[in-house]
Amino acid sequence: MRLSVAAAVATFCAAILLYPLFEGGSWFWGTLGAVLAVLAASMLSGRLSLPLWAAPPVGAVALWVYLTASFAAGKAWAWVVPTKASVVELARLFGSGWTDIQRFAAPVPANAGITLLTCGGVGLIALLVDLLAARMRRAALAGLPLLALATVPATILADPISWPAFVIAASGFLGLLLADGRERVGHWGRAVLVRRTTRAAAPQPPGAAGRARQDADRVRETADTRGLRLSGKRIGFAAVVLAVLVPAALPVMEPVSFFTFGVGGRGAGAGNSISIPNPIANLKGQLELPEQRVVLSYTNSDDKPRYLRIYALDTFDGDQFGMTEPKGSPDNRTENGPLPPPPGLSRGVPVANVVTDIRISDEIAKLSFLPLPYPPRQIQVDGDWRADVGTLMVFSTREEAAGLEYKVSTSEPAPTSELLKSLPQSRPDLDDRYLKVPDDLPPEIRALADEVTKGARTSYDAAVKLQEFFTKTGNFTYTLQTQGHGNSALKDFLLRSRAGYCEQFAASMAVLARLAGIPSRVAIGYTGGTKVGDRWTVGTNDSHSWPELYFEGVGWLPFEPTPTGSLGQGSARVPAYTVPPPDRTGDGSTPTPGATSSSADEPLSPQGRANPRELDREATLQPVGLPAEEPAPWPAYVGIGAGVLLLLLLVPAALRLLTRGRRLRRLDGAGRTGGAPSGLDGADAPQGGSGAGVRAVAGRRPNVAAVWAELDDLLLDYGMERGASETPRALARRLAERYEFDADSAAALAAVASAVERSLFARSPGEIGPMRQDLRTIRRALAATVSRGRRVRAVLLPPSTLRRLRRLGEGLLDGFDRLESLRLRRAAPKGS
Amino acid sequence: MAVTHDVPPQLDELVSTAHRIREAVESVVEGKSDAVRLTLTVLLAEGHLLIEDVPGVGKTMLAKALARSIDCPVRRVQFTPDLLPSDITGVSAYNQQTREFEFKPGPVFANIVVGDEINRASPKTQSALLECMEEHQVTVDGVTYQLDSPFMVIATQNPIEMEGTYPLPEAQRDRFTARVAMGYPEPHAELEMLDVHGGASPLDKLQPVATTAEVRALIEAVRGVYVSQPVKKYAIDLVVATRHSPDLRLGASPRSTLQLVRAARAHAALAGRDYVIPDDLQDLAVPVLAHRLLPSVEAQGQRRLPEQVVTDLVRRVPVPETRAS
Repeated sequence: MRLSVAAAVATFCAAILLYPLFEGGSWFWGTLGAVLAVLAASMLSGRLSLPLWAAPPVGAVALWVYLTASFAAGKAWAWVVPTKASVVELARLFGSGWTDIQRFAAPVPANAGITLLTCGGVGLIALLVDLLAARMRRAALAGLPLLALATVPATILADPISWPAFVIAASGFLGLLLADGRERVGHWGRAVLVRRTTRAAAPQPPGAAGRARQDADRVRETADTRGLRLSGKRIGFAAVVLAVLVPAALPVMEPVSFFTFGVGGRGAGAGNSISIPNPIANLKGQLELPEQRVVLSYTNSDDKPRYLRIYALDTFDGDQFGMTEPKGSPDNRTENGPLPPPPGLSRGVPVANVVTDIRISDEIAKLSFLPLPYPPRQIQVDGDWRADVGTLMVFSTREEAAGLEYKVSTSEPAPTSELLKSLPQSRPDLDDRYLKVPDDLPPEIRALADEVTKGARTSYDAAVKLQEFFTKTGNFTYTLQTQGHGNSALKDFLLRSRAGYCEQFAASMAVLARLAGIPSRVAIGYTGGTKVGDRWTVGTNDSHSWPELYFEGVGWLPFEPTPTGSLGQGSARVPAYTVPPPDRTGDGSTPTPGATSSSADEPLSPQGRANPRELDREATLQPVGLPAEEPAPWPAYVGIGAGVLLLLLLVPAALRLLTRGRRLRRLDGAGRTGGAPSGLDGADAPQGGSGAGVRAVAGRRPNVAAVWAELDDLLLDYGMERGASETPRALARRLAERYEFDADSAAALAAVASAVERSLFARSPGEIGPMRQDLRTIRRALAATVSRGRRVRAVLLPPSTLRRLRRLGEGLLDGFDRLESLRLRRAAPKGS
Repeated sequence: MAVTHDVPPQLDELVSTAHRIREAVESVVEGKSDAVRLTLTVLLAEGHLLIEDVPGVGKTMLAKALARSIDCPVRRVQFTPDLLPSDITGVSAYNQQTREFEFKPGPVFANIVVGDEINRASPKTQSALLECMEEHQVTVDGVTYQLDSPFMVIATQNPIEMEGTYPLPEAQRDRFTARVAMGYPEPHAELEMLDVHGGASPLDKLQPVATTAEVRALIEAVRGVYVSQPVKKYAIDLVVATRHSPDLRLGASPRSTLQLVRAARAHAALAGRDYVIPDDLQDLAVPVLAHRLLPSVEAQGQRRLPEQVVTDLVRRVPVPETRAS
């Protein structure tokens, strides 16, 4: 019974972790109901002592009835009993929920379908947890379904789960484990080996012993698991606290190691197949990374920043752009000389031949495509890298780009507007896939394409108009806060919100271009980055996506519909040839972001870009011009860790020194006042941790108290601790006899003992001389009797200080115990 | 004691007197300085001493030597089964001449009364003596007679021959401040004893070294010894510990607390201190407490004597206010 409840609570606590996935709270009550339904079923089968195999069906039926009642009550018989119609209704809701989940990005609206899916899922998890924990008595194993539930938000969202939610979920599971342990031990017998609270360990006052014994007799009929429960709670509490605090104290995990370029999801390295990444999914993630990590750096022969393309996405399915599997025949290995010629580039077009030297960061994981300026002609790189003839993507089925350094020569077409305008408007000699749009594309988008490109005489004009639409006339804004991608998202972006980031801009322009009859594809890679020192450095927030449009005779040309500069993607720049001819931008004083940065970027100088970047949205996360922080090498971390550890280890020694210093100062202070009579009443009692005894001594003689406390600690440090019943005199006798003190030391010891004795017990303590010298003599004599190791330990890890710290800890624990027992009494479940 | 410190002047005299008595007694009872010291302590604490040991180890000798070294009346009563209470307290006899009843004081009218083999007398007689011990007075035929001060009963008891004896009930043992076991002497002490006792009895040579007045002054001084609050608390802790010890069926009485502190005062004074320290209590705990305690059945089964139990308790009970935490 108790386990069933604990299992339900644990499941529900874990389900709370789903909160960031939903808008609104209807899912919350729905899941609560599902969990309760499963709990009721579990209690029923427990009460009826149903066999193990029968419990899950009963639970499933309960869940089914619950789902029917809450989602298809209208179609059910008596609102509860499932009928054919209600099943159909549930299936329909299920289907719509499934579609919604596919379509929306988190947080999703909690509509009926999605809530049904959530309730059903959580209910199934509850069923599983209950089966494992309450029926099969494998509470620890029940953590797996709970973990599965917890990983849902963790995998979907980039943001970490907030820690209070984590604490709740962890507490739920701990509660389950505790309940299980308690049941288990309850069947064994008495629990031993539990920490006694100091209160319990203290000698009991007369009379209390008898009562306690009676209590014990009364509870002995069932095993006394109170102490065990306390330990369990304490361990669980510590574990949760550690789990929350330690990650906060650790250096931040480097996100770069975790973002992959998607390759490998479907078995990279298994044979020579290459899996197609979903680059778009990564794009936003990288742009949203909390700090910029360096992805690569490069130098090139003309020292101008260039976009580095990794992928070219050529197919559009109505939802998003995808990539046809690249094909690299052995002929097109990079080591076999020049790559295939760039498609469509004819001889008449001026080209800029540039050699670029690229170095990829070690931290990049699973990148098997090379970031390259387009179009690459020849590459010097180690390993088996091959070029795809159509797109000139360079990839490998075996190698990874991390840490790679390679040289690429490119022939970048540098057409002028006039040249582009004069291109023949013939049907491009290119694969149809670059023009293909799905038939069910919303007609509004087609209309928009027509409207934007109205009046364009050439495809180049159309392309320029499109880019202008995005950067100027369309009133688009740049933001990373968008929802999803796909057909409706495209429509939403183009027609309604007009807010998005490079992914939307690039894809939309590519789609519109196709609708206008210009072959297009979406390139994904990086912008040219920032110049740091003598290298161009490209970071994660330079991740970018842009459309490439094809013009017969020139080939693929990149365009830049994404707003650049301060209100857009900082390091993006508008290619010179896409700037409308002067006659059309005569009124170009309009300081739109696109216009300003395009004019600034015309010479492609790094200085020209430096200014707009200062207000750049992404760059606010990392000041411009500063080199990206290089992670310290691991020996440095080890060194720092060791240093911190060393410092921590020195804390007890330092505390001990402080204490001793304080006592000696008090000794000096008292010494100066000489043998004044016992008028020095307790005003100067030592603060903190010296206990009643010393305080009593201090009440009469602060210096005696200091000496006595110091002597006590000294003895503890050297492992000759004074027994509880050992009087000062007995102590002096024992030490002098056992360690064969010489006359001086024995006299010093006797003097101290006598002073303490008189301070404590005599009517008037009489003359007490300065004892600093005595103390030193005693310390020296004691130190001479112990081994060197012991002496070192007494200095570095003095047991007296450790004991004090431990007491402090025990005090804290006792405090927790009291808190827990307070809460326990109220919350103790009645069942079981 | 190794520690020297200022002795209040009034104690000087006291200590030297006590020292003289001790030396005198020890000249007769060789090698038993602990027993002698305890005897003296009990005397100064106005208590009574129970000496329990096998025959022939000098129980009576100790009692006599103490009595002799103080110049005071000493009476010795040999307890036998036919001894009557009036044999102790005294009787009223009719005086033919005065035609009045006249009180003939019994042996109890002395400063030191030695009761030999007290367990051989009938309980009635025992209790007559014990009443005198507690009340310091004798009531015969309705007339109360005060006993002289100092008044000390030194009773001896033979734990071996139990045939035909009436062992003291616990309630009555409680009246004795301390019990001491003489123990066999060390070989060298025994050798010395042979030499000394070979001729005349050393008791004959023993001269009194103190007067009753001096002893009375001593007792008065002991009463003034300072007992600090922590030490009182420690005494209570010790006594309370006996009441809660699982090894004991019967713990020590409040009277024992009183006597413990009183004895500790004397002990401190004998050491030349005008204040009691926990060491005094620790030294006296076994002789003062052990004979009042009854071991539990478990402890008896383990052959744990009350002495051992008390020793353990002394080791366990923390000394008040010297613990640093």
